[in-house]
Amino acid sequence: MPFLQTLFGPEVFAAALRVMVPLLLVSLGGLLTKQAGIENIGLEGLMLIGCFSGFVVNYYTSSWIAGLIGGVVFTTLTALLFGVFVISLRAHEIVTGVAINMLGLGVTTYLLRAIFGVKGAFTDPRVQGIPTLDIGFLKEIPVIGTIFHKQSIMVWIGLALVFAVHFMLYHTRFGYYIRAAGENPQALATSGVSLLRTLYMTVLIHGVLCGLGGAYLSTGYLTQYVENMSAGRGFIAMAAIAFGGAKPLRVFFSAILFAFVESLSSRLQLVQVPSYFALMVPYVVTIVVLAVTSWREKQKSKTRVI
Amino acid sequence: MKIFRKLLLPFISLCAFLVSLVIGTVIILLNGDNPLVAYGALIEGAFNGMSNLAGTLSSATPLIFTGLGVAVAFKGGMANIGAEGQLYMGGMAAALVGVYLPLPGFLLIPVALLAAFLAGGLYGLIPATLKIKTGTNEVVTTLMLNYVAILFTSYLVNYPFKAPGAPLGMTVNIQKAARLPLLYPGSRFNVGFLLAIAACILVAVMFRYTGAGYEMRMLGRNSIFSKYIGVDVNARTLQCMFLGGGFAGIGGAALVLGIQYRFVQNISPGYGFDGLTIALMAGFSAIGVIPMAILFGALRSGGLTMELATSVPSELSKVIQAVIILFMAAQVSFSKYFTEFMTGLRHRREKKQGTGGS
Repeated sequence: MPFLQTLFGPEVFAAALRVMVPLLLVSLGGLLTKQAGIENIGLEGLMLIGCFSGFVVNYYTSSWIAGLIGGVVFTTLTALLFGVFVISLRAHEIVTGVAINMLGLGVTTYLLRAIFGVKGAFTDPRVQGIPTLDIGFLKEIPVIGTIFHKQSIMVWIGLALVFAVHFMLYHTRFGYYIRAAGENPQALATSGVSLLRTLYMTVLIHGVLCGLGGAYLSTGYLTQYVENMSAGRGFIAMAAIAFGGAKPLRVFFSAILFAFVESLSSRLQLVQVPSYFALMVPYVVTIVVLAVTSWREKQKSKTRVI
Repeated sequence: MKIFRKLLLPFISLCAFLVSLVIGTVIILLNGDNPLVAYGALIEGAFNGMSNLAGTLSSATPLIFTGLGVAVAFKGGMANIGAEGQLYMGGMAAALVGVYLPLPGFLLIPVALLAAFLAGGLYGLIPATLKIKTGTNEVVTTLMLNYVAILFTSYLVNYPFKAPGAPLGMTVNIQKAARLPLLYPGSRFNVGFLLAIAACILVAVMFRYTGAGYEMRMLGRNSIFSKYIGVDVNARTLQCMFLGGGFAGIGGAALVLGIQYRFVQNISPGYGFDGLTIALMAGFSAIGVIPMAILFGALRSGGLTMELATSVPSELSKVIQAVIILFMAAQVSFSKYFTEFMTGLRHRREKKQGTGGS
């Protein structure tokens, strides 16, 4: 069955893992703000800024570590801007998110042309890709070996961060504050914890994660920057967060699912099936899941009243 | 005090615009260009001479429709982030009518516009229905539906309706009779602009003078209160989203029948999202949408002239736009600070007078 081999071979899973990492990192960032009660639709813009600034810093330093740090710094600064408007100035979160997306696209496209005089795609040998981790003994195992033995360092960091974020949210005091800020900010404030500080810390950590995800996109499996490179991944991350109920482990599984769909969609074209419908899957699934969960909550609250 | 409150929003809009101009100036200076030359080129490209003005107004036309679509929905309490998707659906419907329907010329345009209105409106009903039936937050659903619409129309123009031999997904040209009549030859400035103005006036009248409009406004201000006084919240929510989606859909038709003359994949450079900015700056007023849309149309068409005259990329206008949105989003805070500042001033003055008198 060469058809199924094309669609479900271990190479597809290996590709899915690469595709998943940026999605996963941005989703982890976004779920933190979601847990803290901030709906952020600016993930796309943050990711794009991480993607671009990571690439540019990497270009000037020829160091992938510096590139990652650069991506993180600039993205975190943008996240801070988002935080100042949403937290301190009490701006409408959705509208601010739209502005951040527009800012991300505008600034990166503008600077790509202003700095490099390029429109479209840009690549340079000076840019050093994030190295892969060659794990010798994994190679021996048939399927798992193909999937895991030569993956980027960021794949492993991403997987570790899933558990780190889970641990932070559910097993540390600060994670408890984050969740309290989302569920009952008054109670948190009454208990003497600074709501402002909790929210700002959350927004900053979310910026770091988005920056990592963005920088991986342009210096990870490709060492190339393309205009509007995030190409909707920030919105798929929102879908993954909604689908996973903003819980790290569940979000991780939705990120795997959506990444698999994405790498599947490019394979589907190889077997002459329009990829457009496959690409729609994350959005449609999210809408359906959101509707079902909201409906169930509505039913629950109805019975509670009776 | 009442006049002061009325003027506050335009004042903050103006401030947001000025701040973004200042930021734009800094960027232009960093770019090594003369801001006066750059802005001069922008204004000249947008307004100088009939043909430039026609260019500005023709790019403003779809923006008025999407801005109106967003404004109507927001006014009725629906945060419609989905104008982009509604525009795609409407544009597609208009293109299909314009290409395939063998109608006599004088019927073709009205039918195509109606089809666009229905397509956009029905697409807007999806999130509205989900909201009233299940309580799903419309922000995420309208946002997601944008991408569904973009992908769906891309599929349509790449497979079933693809023009033979076209390098990328697009339909064949619409019939000549389906083109919106031009108002200024040599440009794409067309009747659609007048229709857009008429639509805004119609909506403003509806909100101001009809019971339905009153109930929608009430709903947008306070849904619980509206329910108590007997407004059919579900029906009004649906109507409001249908109208909003419909106008955004006609925005797509304006693009297809008035500018491109066919449906091309990814046809809109973010007109739906621009519509959100425009509606926001207009304070969701239907009439206010018109000048704001013209301003954004000017930024779009003038930006290109600026790019030719200087080395400032036209993407600068996007950055400026983002700054404007940021400030508009925070306007409630700003107006609060501003009001506090003003009352503080008054108190101080009164105090001074008090101490002076004693």
